[in-house]
Amino acid sequence: MSVITPPLMAFIAGIVISSYLLIKAKETSGEQGTLGVLNASMGFSAVGIMGSGWTWAIHNSMIMGSSSMCATEGLVQCGSVIGDPQWNNLFGIPWGLIGIVSFALIWFFVLSIRMDIHAKWASGYVDLLFYVSLAGVPFVIWLVLVELTMVDGAPHICPYCTVIHIALIGMVACSYFLRQKRDTGTWS
Amino acid sequence: MARRRAKAAPKGKDEDVRTVAMLVTAGIISLVVAISVILAPIPQVGPDEGNQAPDFVADAYNGFGWNEYRLSDNYDWDWNGSSDSKWMLIYFMDTDCPYCWVDGDEMSQLHSQWSDRVNFVTVAAELSIPNHDSTRGEIEAFRDKTSYFGCNSDRDDCIDRPGTPNDWPYIDDRSMTIMNMWGLSGTPVSFILEPDGTVAWNKNKHQGQGGDGEELSEALQRLVGGQ
Repeated sequence: MSVITPPLMAFIAGIVISSYLLIKAKETSGEQGTLGVLNASMGFSAVGIMGSGWTWAIHNSMIMGSSSMCATEGLVQCGSVIGDPQWNNLFGIPWGLIGIVSFALIWFFVLSIRMDIHAKWASGYVDLLFYVSLAGVPFVIWLVLVELTMVDGAPHICPYCTVIHIALIGMVACSYFLRQKRDTGTWS
Repeated sequence: MARRRAKAAPKGKDEDVRTVAMLVTAGIISLVVAISVILAPIPQVGPDEGNQAPDFVADAYNGFGWNEYRLSDNYDWDWNGSSDSKWMLIYFMDTDCPYCWVDGDEMSQLHSQWSDRVNFVTVAAELSIPNHDSTRGEIEAFRDKTSYFGCNSDRDDCIDRPGTPNDWPYIDDRSMTIMNMWGLSGTPVSFILEPDGTVAWNKNKHQGQGGDGEELSEALQRLVGGQ
């Protein structure tokens, strides 16, 4: 099976569009800039949710043998990463499911702020968004280490996992810029 | 003197949008979960009969050395119930467990009878009981029936184990990782797996309370012999 599949292309497109929105928003001042960063955040978290759902589906199909949803051979593949019973879960919970829940929380914060950027609680939510996103970074580092050094036949690179990792890094950047906008008085 | 009016800070909306945001988030998550489950249904994994056996990767001793062993590498995923693919017998034991010591004879007999149709695997655990300390050397000696004092609760030399030397893989599970994954707390326990990894027989279900008392040898005859 080819490594580049339509879902992977869609996720990569989502990352590219979100990154573009973020860069453009950084150059825009005032409320429009803030809304731009929030739009980019929604893009990153949407990719995170959908990518996690996809990897969870791969996980479930790998348990029953093989998956037609991702390549299982070569350096860039999912089979040896998501299909590895030793590393594909955290205390028995598939990483994909953990990703869905985590990005859902991020999505909720972003959407709430996006719907009312002048609300009293918006400032606190910006902090929560930053800390929740930042909390995911050690897990990303750990999972990259696992796929590069620990899984069967390592190194492997799981493309869907990588897209999700990039989405989280994008979220950290977005939440950082949101805090910056709030703290420098350029929120609106 | 003209008075300057301070610009009012933008005010948030009157209604709390967070409830709507939460409902939208819940809707999106439900949709993503539903699509994921439609794409690949959640498999039933566990030691119960009819479930997919929990997969594991661990070091196994094959008589020459220790190598990585993955249970699912032995499955025939395309098994349709009638091909000649091999079934699996997974035997959880502890080299210091007196019952496992006695079982040595039966396991050797079963292997000589069924080895052409069943792959045998032994998972060597280390129960948290006094005198149940084990080593890789002890596991090797138990399997090979070589001299190593410390088997059977440190009462016997492994060379005296009942039965013949075994020639199937012994998995090192002294960390109890696999035992815990399978939800087991004692030994010996055996499982028969269909060639595609589905649990066909769980000793605890047949010989525990309310079980029908079916023995491992009878189960092999019924499941594999009847094919």
